[in-house]
Amino acid sequence: MGMPVTARVRDPAFDPAALDPAFAWLERVDALFSTYRPGSEIRRIDAGTLALADADPLVRGVLARCEALRRATAGAFDARAGGRLDPSGYVKGWALERAAALTGARELCLDGGGDLVLRGGPWRVGIRHPLRRDRLCSVLEVAGGAVATSATYERGQHILDPRTGRPPRGVLSVTVTGPELATADAYATAAFAMGAAGPAWTASLGGYEAMTVLEDGRVLSTSGYRGRPPLAARAAAA
Amino acid sequence: MRAIAALIVTAVVVVLLARYETQAPRTHDPDAAVGPVRTPRAIATPPPMRSGEGTRSFLGPAMTTPFSAIQVRAFFTGRRLTGIETVLLSGDGPHTEALNARAEPILRESALEAGGADVDVVSGATSTSRIWLDSLQGAIDKARRGR
Repeated sequence: MGMPVTARVRDPAFDPAALDPAFAWLERVDALFSTYRPGSEIRRIDAGTLALADADPLVRGVLARCEALRRATAGAFDARAGGRLDPSGYVKGWALERAAALTGARELCLDGGGDLVLRGGPWRVGIRHPLRRDRLCSVLEVAGGAVATSATYERGQHILDPRTGRPPRGVLSVTVTGPELATADAYATAAFAMGAAGPAWTASLGGYEAMTVLEDGRVLSTSGYRGRPPLAARAAAA
Repeated sequence: MRAIAALIVTAVVVVLLARYETQAPRTHDPDAAVGPVRTPRAIATPPPMRSGEGTRSFLGPAMTTPFSAIQVRAFFTGRRLTGIETVLLSGDGPHTEALNARAEPILRESALEAGGADVDVVSGATSTSRIWLDSLQGAIDKARRGR
């Protein structure tokens, strides 16, 4: 999981040095959880050279939460979906939430590879169009909270349905908004993996709203999803 | 960009790049960029905060796959990475097949639209794609070589 993390703070009095602890935290998370670094605890647990009981409390906490999410999603979110231990789908949101808290910033947009932790605001958030990556398919204003989008923007970068081991069919992208990014991200991943059954499942989630773009061009939104079509472009083009 | 002409501090850090033998280019803008950040259409990723004095930019290589093309420009203030702009992003995504599925009654249904808007940030990753990171790495390498 390689990604840039960008912090934007709307506050003239904010000292950029206050971001240092947040980025140091992200580097610590990477060292513990990276699936690329052979010495990371996740790699060692997966290899059987580190017992879970001896792992860092942060690692044990994350894996416990992943297991709870696996049950909550009937297996559609699974940190072992690819056959190897990879909790990245949860770790990213969890780490960004903590990073946001560490900045102390009240007007903050923290962007980790297109998944967002927002404080203050409202922030105008565009949802990337799943087929035309230089366009948006929805726009919403978010005053505090999280936005996560799972999609196949790139061939070869896919989400597998842990229950079948195959890519899900029928869905182009799932966006989930709600109070906390780690959960929103896991829900988006799970709903995407569920394929055409995902939208109905998202309607059952308390506290989180979702928009699913289906392969046939229909967009299914939960009743509380507040996004609107990106009409501004049309007006500008007219 | 309504009411956002406030002072904006932007910082970029590249983390979780363990597949590269590179130190994360740590980052923030020491000058606290001033002025509105404009996001050109839906182009992803943080735009450069400011290309003023002391800021240099380096264009990464255009990376392509059979399905897409991506190129980024990296902005440095001193030795710090202070902005990344996606300058090329092909619009075509994967080809799709039709699906026959019924809308659930509890869900609102609408048609997929493509447009732009003046937004602060975009959800939905492009920057996690391998070729995006490859282009960024090329720009960083250029910066290290000093040109």
